[in-house]
Amino acid sequence: MSYSCTSRGNSQDPSASSANNAARSGDSAADSTGSGSPTQAAAMKVKKGCNSAEVVGVPATTEEELQARTAISPEDVLGLQKITANYLCGPEENIYNIDFTRFKIRDMETGTVLFEITKPPSTDKAGEKRDIDPNAGRFVRYQFTPAFLRLRQVGATVEFTVGDMPIENFRMIERHYFREKLLKSFDFEFGFCMPSSKNTCEHIYEFPPLSEDIIREMVVHPYETQSDSFYFVDNKLVMHNKADYSYNGGT
Amino acid sequence: MGLLTILKKMKQKEREMRLLMLGLDNAGKTTILKKFNGEDVSTISPTLGFNIKTLEHRGFKLNIWDVGGQKSLRSYWRNYFESTDGLVWVVDSADRLRLDDCRRELGALLLEERLAGATLLVFANKQDLPGALSKEAIREALALDDIKSHHWCVIGCSAVTGENLLAGVDWLLDDIAARIFTAD
Repeated sequence: MSYSCTSRGNSQDPSASSANNAARSGDSAADSTGSGSPTQAAAMKVKKGCNSAEVVGVPATTEEELQARTAISPEDVLGLQKITANYLCGPEENIYNIDFTRFKIRDMETGTVLFEITKPPSTDKAGEKRDIDPNAGRFVRYQFTPAFLRLRQVGATVEFTVGDMPIENFRMIERHYFREKLLKSFDFEFGFCMPSSKNTCEHIYEFPPLSEDIIREMVVHPYETQSDSFYFVDNKLVMHNKADYSYNGGT
Repeated sequence: MGLLTILKKMKQKEREMRLLMLGLDNAGKTTILKKFNGEDVSTISPTLGFNIKTLEHRGFKLNIWDVGGQKSLRSYWRNYFESTDGLVWVVDSADRLRLDDCRRELGALLLEERLAGATLLVFANKQDLPGALSKEAIREALALDDIKSHHWCVIGCSAVTGENLLAGVDWLLDDIAARIFTAD
């Protein structure tokens, strides 16, 4: 399984904090330098018992259908059958100023931190202009070694801050695909978030078993493993981030 | 079949439990959470929001919520009561001056309807500190014997050394499991 995190601003060099270098961040927008960049996002890969692909009664949807809607719900994205080609909402829809500030993966067996990326809190105050490319920071490209696909149990942490309005119901849905195949759909409800809060969430999980064939294919076809991360407030999509992955690092 | 029964059956299938960890600020909630999950506890700052961990332990899927305990945050606690199976009340056993505060806050929680069905574990934390009160003294100071509304247990522990954390959590899981996974 793969992980993703997008981060903007003063990202640390993840390889520096990576004890065994199993994970390294890619060369995407995550490495942009700007001071106090306004938007930033992260996604996490976690295990989840309820694989929505198996949930009965969620009607299939297409990206084209959803693009036409004014508001997109969790059920809408749970019906998607493949990775989206475009973002389903704009950065300006993040009216609660949700800001992902840390992403970390550790190997539970050895306690090793495999990957950690942090960013200083956003200083997106009046007068500061958002980036020229509004999609910078919503996408990241990751490079892992093949060994990453063979980890057994990992803990994936995200940290996020919330603006000065409370959030009643915060929910995340993340869908990982290899080519057209849904590898994992993760759905987690954070619920209430305090105004001006900093929150963390770590999911500790066993790697889902992947067949040797799939692993081999994932390694030889970099960036064909992709994920969509959808964030909802009160069941309305407010953030959408994307990532892709390679597992041939170091070869 | 009532809604409650249906919910119970859904939970049973997943063997999922929601634990809510509360207590005054600086009680050691985050340190307990991190230590229990094998994380470094040398640099922990006050929680200004929540920390969640989801994990599997003894075949149960645990969602553990650690919510900040500063006075200004306590009014938000109620937002996290829903569906709580186990309440972990963490006490700084060396903070004698605030034991009254501690007892009052716990008392108020136990009156909450949405926590009525939760098992209560009291962690008398910081047993490694020289001035720490024993778990018996904490039991008395918090008037735990007066609690008739909840299953409860008090356990002396140290988040820093990890002493008794597992024992406490295991007691909690056993009690919850006996209530929600076997009864119908």
